[in-house]
Amino acid sequence: MLQGITRTGAYEWEVPIGFVPGMRVPGKFFLSESLGASLEAGAIQQLANVATLPGILNYSLAMPDIHWGYGFPIGGVAAFDRTEGVISPGGVGFDINCGVRLLTTPLAVKDVAGRRDLVDALYNAVPTGVGAKSAMKVSAQGLDGMLMKGARFAVEAGYGLPRDIERCEENGCMKMADIKPVSQKARQRGIPQGGTLGSGNHFLELQAVREIYDQDAARAFGLMQDQICCMIHCGSRGLGHQVCTDHIKLLEAATKKYQIRLPDRQLACAPIQSPEGKAYFGAMAASANYAWANRQMITHTTREVLRRMFGIGYDDMPLVYDVAHNVAKMEEHLIGGKRVAVCVHRKGATRSFGPDCPDLPHDLAAIGQPVIIPGSMGTPSFVLKGTAVAMEKTFGSTCHGAGRVMSRTQAKKKISGREIAVDLARRGIYVRAPNEAAISDEAPDVYKPSAEVVRVVHDVGISQMVARLEPLGVIKG
Amino acid sequence: MSYEEIPHTADIKIRARARSLPDLFSDLCAALMEVMYGNTRSCTLTKEITIAGNDPETVLLDFLSEVLFISEVEGIVFCDAAIQIDSQKLHAVLRGELFDPARHAGGTEVKGFSYSGLSISHDANGYMAEIVFDV
Repeated sequence: MLQGITRTGAYEWEVPIGFVPGMRVPGKFFLSESLGASLEAGAIQQLANVATLPGILNYSLAMPDIHWGYGFPIGGVAAFDRTEGVISPGGVGFDINCGVRLLTTPLAVKDVAGRRDLVDALYNAVPTGVGAKSAMKVSAQGLDGMLMKGARFAVEAGYGLPRDIERCEENGCMKMADIKPVSQKARQRGIPQGGTLGSGNHFLELQAVREIYDQDAARAFGLMQDQICCMIHCGSRGLGHQVCTDHIKLLEAATKKYQIRLPDRQLACAPIQSPEGKAYFGAMAASANYAWANRQMITHTTREVLRRMFGIGYDDMPLVYDVAHNVAKMEEHLIGGKRVAVCVHRKGATRSFGPDCPDLPHDLAAIGQPVIIPGSMGTPSFVLKGTAVAMEKTFGSTCHGAGRVMSRTQAKKKISGREIAVDLARRGIYVRAPNEAAISDEAPDVYKPSAEVVRVVHDVGISQMVARLEPLGVIKG
Repeated sequence: MSYEEIPHTADIKIRARARSLPDLFSDLCAALMEVMYGNTRSCTLTKEITIAGNDPETVLLDFLSEVLFISEVEGIVFCDAAIQIDSQKLHAVLRGELFDPARHAGGTEVKGFSYSGLSISHDANGYMAEIVFDV
């Protein structure tokens, strides 16, 4: 482990004040010894940099999938006092509300065994990769609907079920969204991309439930052994990327105006209550809504393919849940025995609200929020549940995925996309991607083992394992 | 033209070297296009971009962000960029062609450009830049 860091628990490590100049609170991260072997010094530097921002409360936190990002580390969580604190696009990222949702089906493993045509049909139906345009024509008015109403817009347009809305974090819509600070450029990028998956680590996977760890929670979430599910991982597309680019520029000027000293330009920020801070939050919330509408539109396309090919009812494919993992949210948390209004930044981290927290659907109030953790192509994904421990330790947050350990340059040198596809096929996983590079970029061993990351958050108690799902078919952009 | 991809865990880090600042920016534009669309590009149409900024880092990020925007919205794959930089103003004439899925699909979408890990330096041999493309 790195010099200057102290161990404070079986999986808890502290970065003391003074690790970088100007830290207002310590840093804290959760990691096992084996995951520690791949910890980057740059990521800890970024964790410490976040601790210098005005109004930060308790700790600058990072989950066990921590790695080197820009501004905040990936896996970073930080809460800021709503009256004295700041908001930063560097704590959310370019892909605002990049997130993941899980859809169940009434199909079992035996029903889809050998059905490569299903993966092909999904690949042909869902636009993926660079330059892909949506077949679902979104008008300028429709775009306003996506930005203001999120998942509800898509459901009202015929792309889903009313129950889907309840099964999204925030009911798939941040109410403080504001379209005024969303630039024309962002709008131009958003219109043709509604219902598209994107590229990079975004995917649509056909998965099978292989193991259930918590029967009560699994039943409440609608999950059964051997069930076929579909996982969708994508975000706010070019619209969100443009909002981030635009507002980093605006907030750089605000950083000077409000005389905030920063260790990294990418942490450009403004007081939450300032006009610049409010403009970013409103535009970010609108982008988050676009992402929920986008995932809802892809869900519709997926259900239509399954309905057509297997004759199953559209209503028989309920959503387990939809979580955001790049977002800033206005929440209340208990700090020193008092309820405090905060702005929580989650950058590559998932909300993990425990039982009886606000925003949970009624039927899940006793269980906790479903937390969906995607693996990479060949590795398992997990469903967990939110906990009271997360509310105490991490502002109701947990990990978001496996976290990369190998660069794309190394990955391409190590093994070809074709070899990976052959190996995965041998293990019963069929991959469709535009080319081989898209496969080798995201190969299973470029990520930390998802099972190890999930074991750490489970043992720390910031979310608890409910089920393990393994991929059968993968669509990559 | 001289640029290379150097290892970066999460994203794509590019190091470019050139004799002049305009050539350096032009190389980074070419690197961006290669990441997104591969190497098959022809030059049948032109676009002009003007950027003003206080320092070379800001001008570079604004220039690449504008290239990304035009490329995505107008569906243009650029083959080269002739750049002039006059005090703090950049003028670029870009040549390219319309996006053709048969030849340009399969690359990696770039989401944006980060100040983290960005550097532009120069010595007697010329200019060097390192930049992270968020993907």
